[in-house]
Amino acid sequence: MNPSGCGIGLRAPHVAEILERRPPIGWLEVHAENYMGGGPAVRALERLRAAYPLSIHGVGLSLGSAEGIDGEHLERLARLVERLEPALVSEHLSWSVTGGAYLNHLLPLPYTDEVLDLLCTNVTRAQERLGRRLLVENPSGYLKFRDSSIPEPEFLNALARRTGCGLLCDVNNVYVTCSNLGGDAVAWIDTLDTGAMGEIHLAGHAANDADGRTVLIDDHGSAVADPVWSLFEHALRRFGPTPTLIEWDTEIPALDVLLGESAKASLRLLRASDVAAA
Amino acid sequence: MSPLRELQAAFRAALLVDDERAVTSAIVDDDVGVSARLSIYRHHVFTSLAAALGATYPVVTRLVDRRFFAWAADRYVRAYPPAGPCLAEYGADFPAFLAQFPACAHLPWLADVARLEWAMNVALHAPDAAALEPDALRALHPRTLARVTLRFQPSVVLLESPWPIDAIWRANQPDADGVVDLGAGEARLELRRLDDDVVFRALPPGTFAFRAALAAGRALEDAVERALDAEPGFDLTGEIRALLDERLLAT
Repeated sequence: MNPSGCGIGLRAPHVAEILERRPPIGWLEVHAENYMGGGPAVRALERLRAAYPLSIHGVGLSLGSAEGIDGEHLERLARLVERLEPALVSEHLSWSVTGGAYLNHLLPLPYTDEVLDLLCTNVTRAQERLGRRLLVENPSGYLKFRDSSIPEPEFLNALARRTGCGLLCDVNNVYVTCSNLGGDAVAWIDTLDTGAMGEIHLAGHAANDADGRTVLIDDHGSAVADPVWSLFEHALRRFGPTPTLIEWDTEIPALDVLLGESAKASLRLLRASDVAAA
Repeated sequence: MSPLRELQAAFRAALLVDDERAVTSAIVDDDVGVSARLSIYRHHVFTSLAAALGATYPVVTRLVDRRFFAWAADRYVRAYPPAGPCLAEYGADFPAFLAQFPACAHLPWLADVARLEWAMNVALHAPDAAALEPDALRALHPRTLARVTLRFQPSVVLLESPWPIDAIWRANQPDADGVVDLGAGEARLELRRLDDDVVFRALPPGTFAFRAALAAGRALEDAVERALDAEPGFDLTGEIRALLDERLLAT
């Protein structure tokens, strides 16, 4: 089953209700690291994957680690992918492991030629072990390294060209990053190659104060913001209809609220399909 | 060391031990200062890991109150950052950390309650295994049987404490009043996952010694000896039948 239309990120509080109600959802995406053991969550997912197309979204492979990716974790991911046979597998343009410690965050990378070489090595290794294409997602940014010389979308384009990986465009992250670091979100989207596009993410963000200036925090804790919907519409005009996911990870609302967000995205996807067909 | 490796080590020092010296010069400093930008990342790392610990240790959280727990979790994360990205596997050292944590010295039973919660977490995420059929043992020659080692279901954990940790755990569930008789004595507990729930129960001394020895990989005759030391009236035939009837053994 291939994902099409709008999916939702599967979160624990909604599992029982989805199993019982079987609401129309385009597809489900789960965080790989929550299913690497056994137990009830894994059993529930085995049942859900029979009813919905599945995407596996890794948050812990640390593709940007200078010390390389952890072989043991890659093995666990590969076994999970073999068992669940998801339609999509994705990870992030970030790092979280150094000196054997896992810092639970998608941490930023300087975008340089050296780091691009490293990412190419790590993505290639992951794709070879998984035996399939990985989608790589743009992170949300809160700082910029002085050494960064390659704009983020160009860095992703080069990574896709050199490794054959696909791209996951998190439209909310584009908005957050451009707002926090100075940048034109529309130009960012317009720079990303359309050929490698495999998936879009949408989520809510919060606005915090830092040193008297507003900083947007990608907390996945609210509805998708209006400017992000507009940017999503722009992305669909550029990329055409693309499987789109609604993520909501903190202050998780009732399932119907999530399905409402998903319906809003579906409407825009339908409009984009009409345009593509015309 | 490659520049990126150095940068990542410096970033780790900034996040985990608040030492921003080595990383600051690598980051663009503008209208939002570097420290404020780093603290966005640090805040997420600590709050998400403290939340993961809180999810694994809800009774410990209630026993020490939420604010103290957050502080203890902060200290723990600095000393023992996760070794891998599966957050359900994070916090194995937390009971030992609490046992050594001076601020908890007046709660001598706290670390053992934490061990119970960790064991419940392990049981919840353990893989399933096929149950051992009784015939598998019947087929063995008595002499072989004495030296056999048995494998328990992966979710089975045997845990003992000088404190009534089972009573403390039950009294500190969300709807319970928190009143416990700390003088109720030791606990010898067997935990396992049944369907989707982790359950535990107290075992008699002989049964506990027998099963704990088997679970530790000791041969049957050795486990029987330990059980008889703990409880002279230990009934071997009945106990082996119980292991099989309760489907505690795995193939």
